[in-house]
Amino acid sequence: MNYVKDMREKLNIEYVKSELIKTAYGGKETFLASLHPRTLIIWYLFFGIVPWFIHNKIVLSCFLVLMVVLTIMARVSPLIIVILCVGLLGEIGFLLLVSLVFGGGLASLIPMFWLTVKLAVIALASIAVFTSMDPERFSDALLSFGVPGQASFSVSFGYRILPTLVEEFQRVFLSYRLRGKAPETHGIFYWRTASYYLKLLVLSFYPLILNSAKRSRTTVEALETKGFSYSFTNSEVKKMKLAHLTYTYKDPLFLIGTVAYISFAFWLGTFLVDAE
Amino acid sequence: MLPNPLVQLTNVTFTYPGADRPVLKDINVTIYEGEFTAIIGGNGSGKSTLCKTFNGLIPQFYVGDFEGEVVLNTMKTSEHTVAQLSRNIGYVYQDFENQLVRPTVIDDVSFVPLNYGLADYRQRGEWALNITGLSALRNEFIWQLSGGQMHLLALAGALAMKPKLLIIDEPIAQLDPNHAKQVYDILKKLNNEFGITIIVIEHHTEFIADYCKEVILMDQGELVWKKDVKEALSQVRELLHRNIFPPQVTQAAYALLEKDSQDSLLPIRMDEAIKHFSTYIQRKVPLPPFRPTCMTENREVIRFNHVSLEYRTLKKERKRVLYEVDTSFYQGDLVALVGNNGAGKSSLLKLIAGIVKPSDGQVVVLGKTTREASPEVLSETVSYIYQSPEEMFIDDSIRKDIEYYLRVRKIPDYELIVDKLLVDFNLVDIQHQDGRLLSGGQQRRASLAIGAAMNPAVILLDEPTANLDVATKQQVIQMLGKLQNHVQTVIVATHDMQLVAEWANRIIVMNSGSIISDGSRYDIFGNEDVMRKAGLVPPQILQLSRKLCLEPPCFTIDEFTSRLDTVEAEGVQLELCKGYA
Repeated sequence: MNYVKDMREKLNIEYVKSELIKTAYGGKETFLASLHPRTLIIWYLFFGIVPWFIHNKIVLSCFLVLMVVLTIMARVSPLIIVILCVGLLGEIGFLLLVSLVFGGGLASLIPMFWLTVKLAVIALASIAVFTSMDPERFSDALLSFGVPGQASFSVSFGYRILPTLVEEFQRVFLSYRLRGKAPETHGIFYWRTASYYLKLLVLSFYPLILNSAKRSRTTVEALETKGFSYSFTNSEVKKMKLAHLTYTYKDPLFLIGTVAYISFAFWLGTFLVDAE
Repeated sequence: MLPNPLVQLTNVTFTYPGADRPVLKDINVTIYEGEFTAIIGGNGSGKSTLCKTFNGLIPQFYVGDFEGEVVLNTMKTSEHTVAQLSRNIGYVYQDFENQLVRPTVIDDVSFVPLNYGLADYRQRGEWALNITGLSALRNEFIWQLSGGQMHLLALAGALAMKPKLLIIDEPIAQLDPNHAKQVYDILKKLNNEFGITIIVIEHHTEFIADYCKEVILMDQGELVWKKDVKEALSQVRELLHRNIFPPQVTQAAYALLEKDSQDSLLPIRMDEAIKHFSTYIQRKVPLPPFRPTCMTENREVIRFNHVSLEYRTLKKERKRVLYEVDTSFYQGDLVALVGNNGAGKSSLLKLIAGIVKPSDGQVVVLGKTTREASPEVLSETVSYIYQSPEEMFIDDSIRKDIEYYLRVRKIPDYELIVDKLLVDFNLVDIQHQDGRLLSGGQQRRASLAIGAAMNPAVILLDEPTANLDVATKQQVIQMLGKLQNHVQTVIVATHDMQLVAEWANRIIVMNSGSIISDGSRYDIFGNEDVMRKAGLVPPQILQLSRKLCLEPPCFTIDEFTSRLDTVEAEGVQLELCKGYA
């Protein structure tokens, strides 16, 4: 009982909100954060795609080691790590269940393990990169790659309204609670209480979406009066927006280091396989 | 020599698509450079629509049936885009928090000059922050700002271009009196020192009298007149007829006018009023009945036992919002909770509703300790009405919203209860509409009905009159009167001193998390120290009656006018109180 209460106090919406904001805008002192966002995106394009096509266990293991190191260096929020682990374990468990139902044995666990390693490499790469690059830098990097201004702006704006949305969600949720009726008993394993809260969580999204739709009218109008569309007609504006992004010696260093490590991993992979 | 015209409207008529009558009807008006103009008119009279023709939002953004011509600074709005026109116009919306589009203060304030490709965008941003007093918050994230700070930032963002024209839709709707004055002082400075033309859409005629130079009156899409401020506010009969309330001193002067001198100029500001009324004679009247400070004889409904409240900020610092609050609320109490923004009023309400739990001490509501009860259980005795009604609309019609509480509790024949509430709160015709699409006043009435449907012993209201025009506000005060029959105790957190003076029988003053005073309106409004410390400004008529040495002071215009007379022989000549000179 006390344990449940303790969990409830720690895992409230406030905590989730502050972790989300910290993940998005915090942690600016790390090595990865000091890189040019273009460098990070190019780096990420490799580690987001290539691992899907690699089946060599040694190479994958080397990649995983690199990702773990980078994730630690990026000082990722524990909440994100927990969500990732729950996701990966849940997935492995679910696949195992499916394979058992369809007559597979425990032997299927091994290939599934390697699939999970692959997923973990990609997921950790994403986390390390996006924790180290606040939405503003990410948005500017997109702009510098030639993505249309509206699209890159929507990334930054999406993050800007996130805290506002979370707060409003809290209040709508509370509206349901202040007029609702909680189950009188918790039920076995708290199932009644849990299903009551889950139902409210889902219901709260509808008013939230309607309210946001109404509010976005002002935002769109305000953007027009703030000369937002005018900025696309002037190439100088783009230069000014991107002027604060600069390359340092760290960028080539990071890319060369990564290439060296990848080469080493592939060499080690083929060498050990040959040795077998 | 006449100043240059800045905006010129010729025969402008506009109809929204699908609407059967125009929102703007044949409007002809000129705004000259250097004006400080207030636009007044009831909700839905076309005030905002009018302003949106100046920068071309109408008809370019809101497509509809548009006739006539608008010229802004020699540019015809039909020949330029909204973005081109907006270079010279700053616009601050009523729902200003939705116009902040960047994550940090400095980014948001420099956003406009950056969009227009001005190399000194950073300096312009800094300048605007400096003018609005936000420089210290330069690197804050905007979601960490208070409502008042967000409003100033929206203003700063509109200023960074140093526009020729600044339009502000309801600049002080959600502010306490001190912050309101601060905003108007900034506007005055911009107008005087930087020559920026300013247009405000405003319900607070007392601020119009103190700061504006011209007034435009709108009614149902028509521009009735544009007049000099003194002349405009002296049209008391016409304004009242259109549900607009001139400053209290002007209304009082009008009520005491001889019948044949209807169109003279009346006092509109306090200094003028003192001069005007000092020629009057005070009538001898019996003292108004004394009201008890609070209903301690009655049953105790809510008990605060040494309650403190703290929470942790994003930076993990502890922040104390309430400290050692120890008080009780009784049956029959109509409590007004007053104090500046951030004094802890909302937190006190949330503690009673069980939304937050005390860090120290106990809150007991009708025998239930809030720490042990969930909000669902407390809602059977307490109902909490949010400041923004939109967040209370959880269903797709207000009828369903009102019945939600009764339905989930399977109350028999709840339809009958709902029918009665709809009549009581004048919502029958709109019961099947979605709450979000109603006007401000309708939304407020619906939220009160939602609260009353819970048949609570205690009802808590957070700023029930914010953002309403004065006519709608009067309706809400009436509705509060109706609530009294349904409940035992009503507690209202508010900045609206008129509501406090006319409605409450007990006033609690809060300042930085503590109760600094608790008593009747005579105790509180009579205590200069408390008023100053809590940043409260008494209603104008009360200030006036005190400056004229009326004892006891008057709280309403009717009280005031019934005490004064021009020719009464046995009265006392009024004099200016020495203390106020």
